[in-house]
Order: sequence, then C-alpha cells, then structure tokens
Amino acid sequence: MQVYVHFPWCLEKCPYCDFVSYRTTREAIDQVGYTDAVLRELDLRLADFRIEHASFTLESIFFGGGTPSLWEPSQLARVIAALRAAFPPSREPEITAECNPSSLDQARAEGLLAAGVNRLSIGVQSLHDERLRFLGRLHDAQGALRSVRGALASGMPRVSADLIYAVADQRPDEAVDEASRLLDEGLTHLSAYSLTIEAGTRFGELARRGRLPLADDGAMVASFHALHDALGARGLAHYEISNYAVPGQEARHNLGYWKGRAYLGLGCAAVGMIPGPQGALRYRNQPLPERYLQATQGGVANDPGGIAESVEPLDASTLLRERIMLGLRLAEGFDLEAAAAELGVEPWPAERRRAAERMIQRGRLVREGGRLRVPLSAWALADGTAAELF
Amino acid sequence: MSFPLQQIRNFCIIAHIDHGKSTLADRILEVTGALAAREMQDQVLDKMDIERERGITIKAQTVRLKYVASDGLEYRIHLIDTPGHVDFNYEVSRSLSACEGAVLVVDSTQGVEAQTLANVYLAIEQNLEVLPALNKVDLPSSDVDRTREEIEQVVGLDCAEAVPCSGKTGIGVRDILEQVIKKVPAPRERAPGGPLRALIFDSWYDSYRGAVVMVRVMDGVLRKGDKVRFLATKRDYEVVEMGVFTPHPVHIDELGPGEVGFFAANVKSVHDTKIGDTVTTAKAANTGVVEPLPGFKDVKPMVFAGVFPTDSAAYPDLRDALEKLHMNDSAFSFEPDTSEALGFGFRCGFLGLLHMEIIQERLEREFNLDLITTAPSVVYRVLKNNGEMIRVENPAKLPSPGEYQHIEEPICKVTIHVPSEYIGPVLSLCQDKRGTQLGLQHASKDRVIISYELPFAEVLFDFHDKLKSCTRGYASMDYEFTGYRRDTLVKVDIMVNGDPLDALSIIVHKERAYHRGRALCEKLKEFIPQQQFEVPVQAAIGGKIIARETIRALRKDVTAKCYGGDISRKRKLLEKQKEGKRRMKSVGSVDVPQEAFLAILKVEG
Repeated sequence: MQVYVHFPWCLEKCPYCDFVSYRTTREAIDQVGYTDAVLRELDLRLADFRIEHASFTLESIFFGGGTPSLWEPSQLARVIAALRAAFPPSREPEITAECNPSSLDQARAEGLLAAGVNRLSIGVQSLHDERLRFLGRLHDAQGALRSVRGALASGMPRVSADLIYAVADQRPDEAVDEASRLLDEGLTHLSAYSLTIEAGTRFGELARRGRLPLADDGAMVASFHALHDALGARGLAHYEISNYAVPGQEARHNLGYWKGRAYLGLGCAAVGMIPGPQGALRYRNQPLPERYLQATQGGVANDPGGIAESVEPLDASTLLRERIMLGLRLAEGFDLEAAAAELGVEPWPAERRRAAERMIQRGRLVREGGRLRVPLSAWALADGTAAELF
Repeated sequence: MSFPLQQIRNFCIIAHIDHGKSTLADRILEVTGALAAREMQDQVLDKMDIERERGITIKAQTVRLKYVASDGLEYRIHLIDTPGHVDFNYEVSRSLSACEGAVLVVDSTQGVEAQTLANVYLAIEQNLEVLPALNKVDLPSSDVDRTREEIEQVVGLDCAEAVPCSGKTGIGVRDILEQVIKKVPAPRERAPGGPLRALIFDSWYDSYRGAVVMVRVMDGVLRKGDKVRFLATKRDYEVVEMGVFTPHPVHIDELGPGEVGFFAANVKSVHDTKIGDTVTTAKAANTGVVEPLPGFKDVKPMVFAGVFPTDSAAYPDLRDALEKLHMNDSAFSFEPDTSEALGFGFRCGFLGLLHMEIIQERLEREFNLDLITTAPSVVYRVLKNNGEMIRVENPAKLPSPGEYQHIEEPICKVTIHVPSEYIGPVLSLCQDKRGTQLGLQHASKDRVIISYELPFAEVLFDFHDKLKSCTRGYASMDYEFTGYRRDTLVKVDIMVNGDPLDALSIIVHKERAYHRGRALCEKLKEFIPQQQFEVPVQAAIGGKIIARETIRALRKDVTAKCYGGDISRKRKLLEKQKEGKRRMKSVGSVDVPQEAFLAILKVEG
C-alpha cells in the first residue's frame, strides 16, 4: 500500500500553485490537533476497508502539501508509526516529505530523518533570484542552495529538488544551467516541470487578462529537450515526462501513480484511490481544514457527510484509460495488454487499434508487442496521443 | 351506419414554437378522458425524443376524442396535430386541409410572434375557422388584454371571445372545446353520393404493416377490405387494417365522411404514400373520372449534403440506417457518393436545413453513428457544351470551366411579414443577399409584407437567422421555389495542406468569390486544430490561389504534473478531447473536425 498524507498549510501561497493550501503562520498551526485528525481518519478508513488490509504491506508514504516541512517532525513520526503498524512493511518503505527551502535547514532535515523520513523533495523551483521573485517564492537562490546542502549534510539518504522551467523569457541554456548547479550539489533525483498556468490561481487570473509574460510552446519544448540531453549526459534517466533520476533513485511512490496502483489518501484535501465494488473508488477529502477536522470526529469515511467530500467510482474501462494516460508518461511506457487482462477488459477495440496505427504512423507512438510508449521526439504531445487511445 | 356528420369536428392547433401547443393538446386529451392523468407524460403527442427536446413536432400525430358538450350531445372530435416548421410547410398545409377549424394558441406572456402569422395565413387560406386562445394565463407576466389587442391588430381576428387558458393548469380548456363545437363547422361532403375521396395527410412506416397512411375522408365511406387506388401514384391496394388513435390505437371497420383515421394496405414504402394524394376506390377510379382533391404537390428535396462516416468501416451501418430512415420519411432521399477527401458516403436530399439537422441527429442518436456532414448545397443546373442540361447537387461535381456554357441557380420568392419599423434592415438584408424586390405592401397600419426574389442558396444559409436578428424575431417568412436563373457563378475550391478537400468546394457569385474564399480560409483556420506540422489552408478558383491562411504546428500537448489528485481531472479533460476527435475525419494526414465542413455557414457576408 502506498499512502499520501496532505498537509494543507503554507507560509505563502505561490501564484502558480493549484494544490489545496492555506496561508498561515507557523504558530497558528494546530500541530497535535491535525495529527490526531489524520490518525482518526486512518482508523476510520481501516475499519471501512472491507478488504483484508492485513494483506497490504506499506510500500511508501508521501507527505505532500502545502508545506509538510512546517509539520513538527515529532507529529509526523506519529503518523509514520501508525502506518507502519497498520500495514507492516516487508521491506524498508520509501518515506518522502515535501519541503520548502524557507522551512528546511539542516536541523529540520535531521529532525525529519529521526522521525523516519528517508527522502526529501525540496521545492527549489529556480536558482535565479528574479525568477524566484516572479514565482512568488519566499527564498532566494542562496537560500535554496543552503537548504539543499543542509538536507544532504543531515544524512538524509535521498534528496530530490523541484525546478520550474519555461518561465517567461528563460532560455533553454538557462534552464539547463539551473539544473546542472543542483546536480553539482550531489542530488540524485530532479523533477523539472514546465510552468503550467492553472485556472483559479493568481497566474491563471493574470494570464486570462493577458497580463502574464509567458514562454511560447516552442521555447518550452526546446527547454524540455535541452534538459533531456544535459541531464542524460550526467547519467540521469528521464524516466517520466518531468522526472529524472540516477538509475535506482526513481520516486517509488510517484511511480505507483503512473502504474495505476491503489493509494490511500489521508488528511485535509487528500485524494485516495482504493479498490471498490466495480473496479475502484477515488475519493477526495474535505478541502476545508475545519470541515475536515470536524468530519474526522464523525464515524463516516466515504459516505455523504463523511470525511470525503466526493467519491468517484471507477469502472474497469475508466481505469484502463487512466493506465493509458499515465503509462504514456513513463519512458518505458506500459503494457496495455497486461493492464487490460488484469482489469478484465478488451485491450484493442477496433477504434483504439486504428488510433494506435495512426499514431504509430505519425511517429507519436511505439508498439512492442503489448507494450506502448511515446518516443522522445513526440513526448511533448503525449496527452493528445493518450486521448486518441481512449 | 356512419356517425352523424353534425356531431363531428375536425380541428388543429396552430402556434408559434414554445407557445404551448403540445401542452394544451395534452390537456385536451386529459379533459376528454382520453388519457388518465397518471398516463400523461408531458407532451404525449410529440413522440420522438428529438421532438420533445427541441419542442417542435416533426411528425404529425392525430387523435380521435369523445366529448360530451354542454348541449348534452356526444361529439366525435379529431384533433389533428401539425408539424411546426417552415421546412414542413407543405405537410402543414395538408394537415390543415383535413380540418374545418384551428385553435390559434398565443402565449399571453409573449404576444404575437413571427411564426404565428405564417401558420395563421395558411389556415385562413384553407378557409378554416380560427379560434384564438390566450395561453399561459397562470403566469404572473401574462397580459391578456394586450395579447388580445395584438391579435386583432396584427392578425386581424376578432378576439372578443378569445379564451384565456393555461395548458399547464387546465384553465379554459373546456371553454376551448365548447367553442370548437359551437364555431367550427361540421364537415360536409363535397360531392354527396359521389365516390370515395380521402386525403392522405400523413404516413409512416411500420415494420409489420408497411407504410400506414392517415386520411381524412372527404366524400363517401372507406371500408376495411376495400380495393383502393392512390390517384397520384396510380397504384391499387387492399385495405387490410383500419383504425384511429384515442391516443391508443383502436381498430375500426369503416371511416365515414368527415372522419379521420389510419389504414394499412400492404404499401411497401412511404414513398408510395404521397402527402396530399387522394385515395378512392379502384372501382370508382376505373369506371368514372374521380376528381383529385386540390392542393397536391410532389415534394422534392431542395437541399443536398454529403453524409460520410468518420470511420470508413461504418459505411454499411450508415447505409442500413439511411435505408431505415428513408422508409419512414418520404421527403428524404439518398444515394451513394464518393469524395476524394472523405471516401465513401452518401449524398442526401432534404426539405431544408432543419430537416437535415433532424436526420443527422437521428442517425447519430438512434443508430449510434459518428458522421461528417458537409455543408448543404442547392441543386444547380449546368448547360454543358454538348447542349445537355445536367443537375449538380454537389459543387465538387461541377464540370471544369471549359466544359460548360453556363450555370443556373434556383430562385425563390420570399415573402416577409414584418412591423413597418423594420422595413429598412429587411430591405438591406435582402439586397445584400442578391435579392430583387418584387413588392412592398401594407398589411395593416403598422405591418408590411415585403416580397423579394432571392437565390435559394442565399436563403438557405443564414438568411432566416439574420432576418430574425435584424427584426428582433418579429419577422415571419415563407418562401416558394419559382425557377432557375442564369448568373455568373464560379466554384471556389479549398486546399488543406496542399490537397484539395472536395467536400469544401462551394459555388458562389463571381463578385463574392474572393471575399467568401478568404473568409472561409479564416474560419477553417479557427476550426481545424493544430497538427504536428504547419498546415496551409488555401482557396482557389480554377487553380488560381485567391486566399491563404496557415495553421501553426502543434508543439506541446502535455501536462507537466500528474499525480494522485490530478488524475480524475486530467482523465476527464482527455475524455472530452477524445469526444471531440470522434467527429473528426483524417484527410490525408490532417484531422479535420465536423465544424470545418460546415464553416461556410458561419462565414459572414
């Protein structure tokens, strides 16, 4: 079992971010209260699981947010302990905490390590002060490097950083330069996201009014390939559209999403996907902290009035469409025929077969037996390719 | 023994769309006890889903009702439902001629509207007794006095006894029926003692019975077992089954003068049951001259469009579906067609644009087909160099410029009723559409009738919409085909990525060709999605390029982040994208969506 735990608070709300998070001060967070709520939710979900959860072993935990580096390590440790008890692991689980440079120094990294965290993902986003200000970040380039060095010095086994590229007029070589400087610090994993404008964010609003400088698609694709080449030359595999790793250092937890595995979601606004009567259920927890805290006092997880704000049943063919969409994000692609067999649906309805042939002919898809993948040259068009195969 | 003529009433309801015709009809069924309230589904008489959704009646549905009036007598009432769109004008006129009266329903919250007029004039033309009813009086915005005044002024009907009513609550429904009994004349035989004459005013296909016809007996008696002849098609049949709808079907053995009902006679197809045709007995037809009932026209499709499956493997399914629709729709025609760009499909003929949309929708909904429909075209006549005059239903099939002498296009006479304040905009619209003014007369103090001669191709496209918008919906129009006229017409071809897309060819007036070609390229640029490579879109006349637009290459179509919480949202976006792709056709290496094939309809000017 892999578990996602959401922590819905940040010191500042970034203008591009559309994850659920609320601006707050460190002091205002009810550390114990929130932890108690998450643990109550876990108990409720375990009771609600009609499947023998004893058969699940803990594979990974991902503390995301929000800014989980604002969560007291001692409280985080309570959550980890509870999850280890609920799903006794058969091998050492990957336990990641997302961190912001403004709330991560060596001492905090040591604390997280002591709490049982073994992987950090640091929201560096850029090593260019002006771009960091544009992105509304609280740290500067020096602060970011300090934080990365502190994390590595703490003895944390694995450290990754996030970068955002294709920001306004950033050139491909600048994107490469920022990534290289992070690798110089000794990172073995990097996530490089092109800046995406989401509706309902400050950037979304500015873009809608035409007031946001944006890189054009050509520049984004040029940076995408420049990063691929440069990071490849340094021994990092481009294993997912936005993710690079020294072989063996891939994020196990995230790979689980892209391979269509079930995941338990805990915490305010967390999303989970668990086995359901006709396939699977995806639930989304109450996005307001007060509501969430209140809901964990009741005895209901997924039914109306419970912790989940909405529940979406996913049937086998929907799950297969998700496998296609997610599988094509991976460099290795995915085995459509195996996935279809596992889900009990037809892998190749006539329409999909014809679409696949068309995509292959246009150089947008490669088929090897039952496996499908998108070649590097057409990776930046992967969504359209997935839609064709739906 | 036939039912006494004096106790029969035949009437229909006419109304503007949305003025509540079907709801009122349902209420009449309820009041007369034809249907118990629990059987009522809203708008019982509009049978098909599409009719219910669009709120218009496509196939007329006629019922026989029993009503005991305040004079204590039991009356037999036939309520004849009529279709409500200009495309089906001929069907409407035939339905009306099966009646002696019409209830004119006007929404008292809206007042008189455009289409009301066209239908009222049709009814008056047929000498029907028109009874105004002021509907929706249950609504707070209802204004009965103003509506009454408007009807008197605009339509010229006496509204002193107009019934305020509500199809929703049932107020006034009995009063309407009482007026029908009192004011609508009982039917009378036109030639008493003469041979049978019955008017076919509707027909449909039934998979067990073949084509079934709905008739109004004018003279004589139609009996089960009769050998009958359809005068227009000159074919003989034996009546094997007769009945009426109450609205449940009930079998009967005869229909006397003035009565309305249906019969089946092993007629293979609805194409043998022409609306407006006269049914008589074979014996009468053989022994003496039976005068056909007046008003018969052989309705021919006026508008043609190509229909192609998006997936060529679905061709046989499309053919089967067209055959099924054809069996039940005598106005619809189809024949195989090939397009270089779209492959194998069919060229279909329709009465008008609405008819075309309805057929397309039924093909997709009832037969689950994904289709590409090309822009509709009128039928041109082309005089070839060898002196042969050919019909061109598809601009792509126009012979090359050196092979013909001239092109003729269909012309129609358009009659527009409009409040005088809108004369200016209407005249300028008609001029703009290459019209020639035929007349302008005052129908009343502040209403005029404008008549124009216009190329039918111009009327076909957006004329009706433009007319409505420049008169705030107050204009009503009607058109009739008057003939062909020679003009300087040219074919504009469209090339996408260098390949001619024959289905997009248009025939236009030479003076407008350049402008239309350019506007069409601009629209296509809007509708054709970005491809992996740059795609030029060009318009050409006889090989000479007159316009060009370029669709930039698609560089990026991928989500940067996709983790647990994003998956559903992202999947739904792609599902929607996929739904859009279903209506696309791969032409060469370019995916062209359905909207692109209809782009010409969206071009201004």
